[in-house]
Amino acid sequence: MKRRNPWISITVWTAISFLTLFPIYWLFVISVKPAVDLFSTPELLLKSFYWDNYTEVLNNPTLRGYMLNSLIISSCNAVLVTILGFLACYALTRFELAGKESIFFWTITNRMAPPAVFLLPLFLLFTQVYRIGDFSLADTKLGMILVYCTFNLPFAIWTLRPTLDAIPRELDEAALVDGATPWKVISHIVFPLARPGIAVTLILTWVFAWNEYLLAATLTNFNARTLTTGLSEYVTTTGTAWGVMATISVFTLIPALIVFSLVQRHIVAGLTFGAVKG
Amino acid sequence: MHSKKLGWLLLSPTLLILGLFGVFPFLYVLWVSFHEWNPFAANPAKLFNWAENYRKLVFDSQFLASLGVTFAFAVFAVGSEILLGYFLAQAFLKDFPGKAFFRTIHTLPLIMAPIIVGSVWKLMATPSIGVIPYILKHTVGFDLNIGTSAVAAFTITVIMDIWHWTPLVTLTMIAALVSLPPDPFEQAQIDGAGKRQIFWHITLPMIRPALIATVFIRLMDAIRTVDEVLMLTGGGPGSATRYVGVHIYKEVFPRTNYGYGSAVSIVVLYLTIVICWLLYVGLIAPRVRKV
Amino acid sequence: MSNQPETGARRPGFLPIETNWFDRLFIAVVIWVALSLLWLRLIEPLGLSIWIATAISAVVGAVIIWRG
Repeated sequence: MKRRNPWISITVWTAISFLTLFPIYWLFVISVKPAVDLFSTPELLLKSFYWDNYTEVLNNPTLRGYMLNSLIISSCNAVLVTILGFLACYALTRFELAGKESIFFWTITNRMAPPAVFLLPLFLLFTQVYRIGDFSLADTKLGMILVYCTFNLPFAIWTLRPTLDAIPRELDEAALVDGATPWKVISHIVFPLARPGIAVTLILTWVFAWNEYLLAATLTNFNARTLTTGLSEYVTTTGTAWGVMATISVFTLIPALIVFSLVQRHIVAGLTFGAVKG
Repeated sequence: MHSKKLGWLLLSPTLLILGLFGVFPFLYVLWVSFHEWNPFAANPAKLFNWAENYRKLVFDSQFLASLGVTFAFAVFAVGSEILLGYFLAQAFLKDFPGKAFFRTIHTLPLIMAPIIVGSVWKLMATPSIGVIPYILKHTVGFDLNIGTSAVAAFTITVIMDIWHWTPLVTLTMIAALVSLPPDPFEQAQIDGAGKRQIFWHITLPMIRPALIATVFIRLMDAIRTVDEVLMLTGGGPGSATRYVGVHIYKEVFPRTNYGYGSAVSIVVLYLTIVICWLLYVGLIAPRVRKV
Repeated sequence: MSNQPETGARRPGFLPIETNWFDRLFIAVVIWVALSLLWLRLIEPLGLSIWIATAISAVVGAVIIWRG
């Protein structure tokens, strides 16, 4: 390979990084501008900060409720799918179950299907079929937690598989011979060894659940609405509250960015189901 | 040793949840799609009507149009992302100071919620407040209006998708290019092969599995795109950006004609599965190790 | 969908890929749906019943499943 001046690469990548970052920066700019300034000449640099949009969002009880819902739903969902995915993956890697490769493949098809296709059936099932007396899953946090499993559970199984494959089976077999119960093997031997993979799964599933919009917009009305659906409520036919919309976007973005920094390395393997190593 | 019963027990909650929220909805919607069912009409019962919904669907010009624009969107967006991503990955192969830093910045869009991406681009592209129309107007005098121009709206959705997903292609291409063995390249250079020859005869065949896997993943995601477009253009102007997902959400879902809506869902799922299956069987399966 | 060739009989069929019985059933269903939809759009308006498409699909499907 020829040696080249590194400054060419640096210049090119600075330009590309500018293009990548500009939309995010612009989001922030809009969120700290008063509404009257939006329609004047766009200024690239901020001269003053106007925090009213932030206080408005934070003092809005509805939006605070949405934030709390988002937090509860994505956290519960991430914990649930990681535990279930871990157990399922343990079963699939350690037991000779009939058709286990088919089960592996079939779980992934659950995630590949377009979510829009499942809007109608899930809506119908939630409102008409999955109900006990007056209680239906529609517009409940429990319903959303369970629905998000359809795309996060296959993901958890697929990201945990290499981790569990890498843990030698001899370890748990030896423990079983020594008289440990299967539960003890899972909780005291396999789980601690799989901890890094579990952490990555937990974080990425949390982000996916946090970012989800379409299902939340369809299956909830008020009680279980999430922050992402709150965002679209500020786009109305009569006019859009641009500043508030930008502020909610910033609030939705920040947690995702924070956790992203934790698992940056694993992101490609995550988004491609490990089809391409990142 | 482990008993099989325990294995199934550990697996059962997963299968139960995926069955209740994945398989059963599919079977249910399949069943409903053969019925005339409008719970809010004079006759709210489900009436079995053979393939009437499907008969209506194949002549539904709105639905067929949305399939067409989805196809165009997927081709333009995924095609550009692959080309751009490949070149950016090549640019990342050289060592230079701050490489890790630039790589991290380049990865940022991937983590953003699609709905946020939509709102960001809406803020930037909407006429009168957006910065993109402003810049275009004052530099080249072009009047960009995504509210009235179908071409402009379509182009902006494609650019948005490129901004959001090119980093994924770049990172997968880096992974593929880094893992290539150096020997064939050195040999080709000794033999006096040109850059273009090396690309067509050595690089391309060797990164082909990763390339196809990336196309496969991106194509599926492009077909599923809803949130961003819904936020950015709402499917308009007219039906210029009403991709299938948006079509179902905006046109099919709000109507209470559930039988017909189910038929649309089934056909979209059918097309997605067929496209993915063709790609998988024809291109990936023979070349990668069985999962 | 298609990645368990070890469960079916590996008899070389006329299909260009290696398949098991489930793959062939899947292919048969895909063809059935495609033919039916096209039939509804293009041929049924000419007066030929959809049942003809179903019959053709059944024959084609049977051939694929047994011979593919």
